Amino acid sequence: MKVKARGSFAVLLLVGLGLIAGMIYVSLTNGEFDITVKDIVRTLLRINPNPDYDLVVFEFRLPRIVIAVLVGMGLGIAGAVIQGVTRNGLADPGMLGINAGAGVAIVVFLYFYQGQIREITWFSVMAMPLFGLLGGLMAALMIYLFAWKNGRLEPQRLLLTGLAIASGLSAISLFLTLRMNSQDFEMVAVWTSGSIYNANWKYIVSILPWFAVLIPIIYARSHTLNLLQLDDDSARSVGVQLEKQKGILLLSGIGLVSACVSVAGGIGFIGLIAPHIARRLVGQAHQRSLPICAVVGALLVLAADFIGKTLFSPVELPAGIIVAILGVPSFVFLLHRRKGRA
Amino acid sequence: MKFKATLPALLLALSPVAILIALVLSVIYGSKAIPFDSIRDALLNFDPDNVDHQIVRHSRLPRAAGSFLIGAFLAVSGALMQGMTRNYLASPSILGISDGSVFAITLCMIIAPNSSMLAMIIYSLLGSAFSVIVVFGLAASIFSRLSPVSLAILGTVIGTFLSSVSAAMATYFQVSQNISFWYNARLHQLDPDMIKLAIPFAVAGLLIAMLVAKSVTMLSLGEDVSTGLGVKTAAIKLATMASVVLLTGIAVALAGKIGFVGLLVPHIVRMIARVVDYRWIVPLSAAFGGLFLTLCDLGSRFLNYPFEMPVGVVTAIFGVPFFLYLIRTKGGGMRESKS
Repeated sequence: MKVKARGSFAVLLLVGLGLIAGMIYVSLTNGEFDITVKDIVRTLLRINPNPDYDLVVFEFRLPRIVIAVLVGMGLGIAGAVIQGVTRNGLADPGMLGINAGAGVAIVVFLYFYQGQIREITWFSVMAMPLFGLLGGLMAALMIYLFAWKNGRLEPQRLLLTGLAIASGLSAISLFLTLRMNSQDFEMVAVWTSGSIYNANWKYIVSILPWFAVLIPIIYARSHTLNLLQLDDDSARSVGVQLEKQKGILLLSGIGLVSACVSVAGGIGFIGLIAPHIARRLVGQAHQRSLPICAVVGALLVLAADFIGKTLFSPVELPAGIIVAILGVPSFVFLLHRRKGRA
Repeated sequence: MKFKATLPALLLALSPVAILIALVLSVIYGSKAIPFDSIRDALLNFDPDNVDHQIVRHSRLPRAAGSFLIGAFLAVSGALMQGMTRNYLASPSILGISDGSVFAITLCMIIAPNSSMLAMIIYSLLGSAFSVIVVFGLAASIFSRLSPVSLAILGTVIGTFLSSVSAAMATYFQVSQNISFWYNARLHQLDPDMIKLAIPFAVAGLLIAMLVAKSVTMLSLGEDVSTGLGVKTAAIKLATMASVVLLTGIAVALAGKIGFVGLLVPHIVRMIARVVDYRWIVPLSAAFGGLFLTLCDLGSRFLNYPFEMPVGVVTAIFGVPFFLYLIRTKGGGMRESKS
């Protein structure tokens, strides 16, 4: 608990936002064909707009960038919440099977709307995050029930139960997707591998309300999150309504994850790494670490998407795979550091 | 420790009958049911012009035999790992060993696209050896006290890493279609020639498994006990690992990644036969593993009839609940090996 804030919070936040702006600039200008800064500015400010640039910027690059930023923020914050509530530094929405749960529910939804999802209607776009939430909650409940034993939640059992549930749920997803017709299958396959390849503005509109409601709820409870790091009795003695607050926080976290999964599929490890980086940068207090989590998460997803898009051009690699390649070494590194402390 | 040899002996004696029935069922049923008579004819007097005979000889038989063998290999290697590491969660897929093989095969397809089947098998073996070294090496350097769960988590994470790297490389070099052939356990495309090539390796693996079985029993009682009983721990561990690498590598080279068989079957054997002696557990695991995978494969043909379902989905249906049950009953801590 003695990790002091290293560096000023405001400066770090500014640097982070600056980096995000830089990444956005790079992703906007690079791609299948390069656009100069001048043209980007012109397109954005509507000075002598060129319809070609309009199409590329507004229909392809910008929605993708916005989704990457949102998903990164959401997963980063959700990861911090889940780690805070479970008091488990290794918890991650992806590893806990919440991603898979949300995924299954969305696949079920798509399964029953077979054929109708090709024209993306407002109803289906808005309903997907809701279904995701149901699935995420279901997975979380199952994990909780299985991992809860003798009145406590053992961190490692929690992780492993999550892994088991995740593999079971993805088997169900696979089963359902294989029963779909091939066009729907194609769409689901792209989506489940954690790609923001087919971003569009409707998706963004569908998840914005979730972010607008849930992030303030979580941020308002940063003090509670700090107190939850103490053991249950101490937290109770300073007046935290423990179970209720935990419930609200978990629910909000799962909501955020589900919204992210509904647009971006299973991107893992962001929720694991972002909180750790944030904690190292600004210390334990959630008032400061939550915004940094959001910034770091957004940066990571932006960067992963950019790498996946350009490095292997003309083929695209789902951002989820890039994140896993970068994420696993850092996970192992974290395990290593924990040993040093223990 | 009560030791009753009658029950396991009885099970082992009965298993050939069950296996034979499963194999026959596997040959009969499929997207086209083939009457028993033409199967017999296909075996005894083969007629190349008869479609049914062709199906039996070139599709159904290799598939049935292959899934039996692969199930047996995976189960034996799971049993050995569980005994050696005293870890009830150890199994080829959970510890990321299968992912190592997939990784090596990906590399092989990129570097030497036209290599022979034998080369593939050897790459697959090298790959599983590689991930064994990485997982156990990291585990030894990270954890001072290795609990079953932490080893499992490390293995899964390393496995994810290796398969992600494979996916990235496959996409980059545009061989992902060939790779997905390996990766998504497709028992229906088993190559009879490949099975023949694999047999010497498999025999070696199984032979080592039987030879070390006695010592593994002692290792499973704890290292102090086994050292006290005069087991050369290091040598036995090395031999066991060699057998695990051989069997897992072969299984992956033949049919890709199939989860849960190596985890599930040894536990079922221990429950049904009530033995702790690996001289019984190893052969029984082979029999039960083969039986289990053959039946799962049969199920996979009917889950989405007339299309096939990857057999991994079927093994997961049985595997996941059982996995949860294991975690719940055995907990996260270190346990003495009890049956």
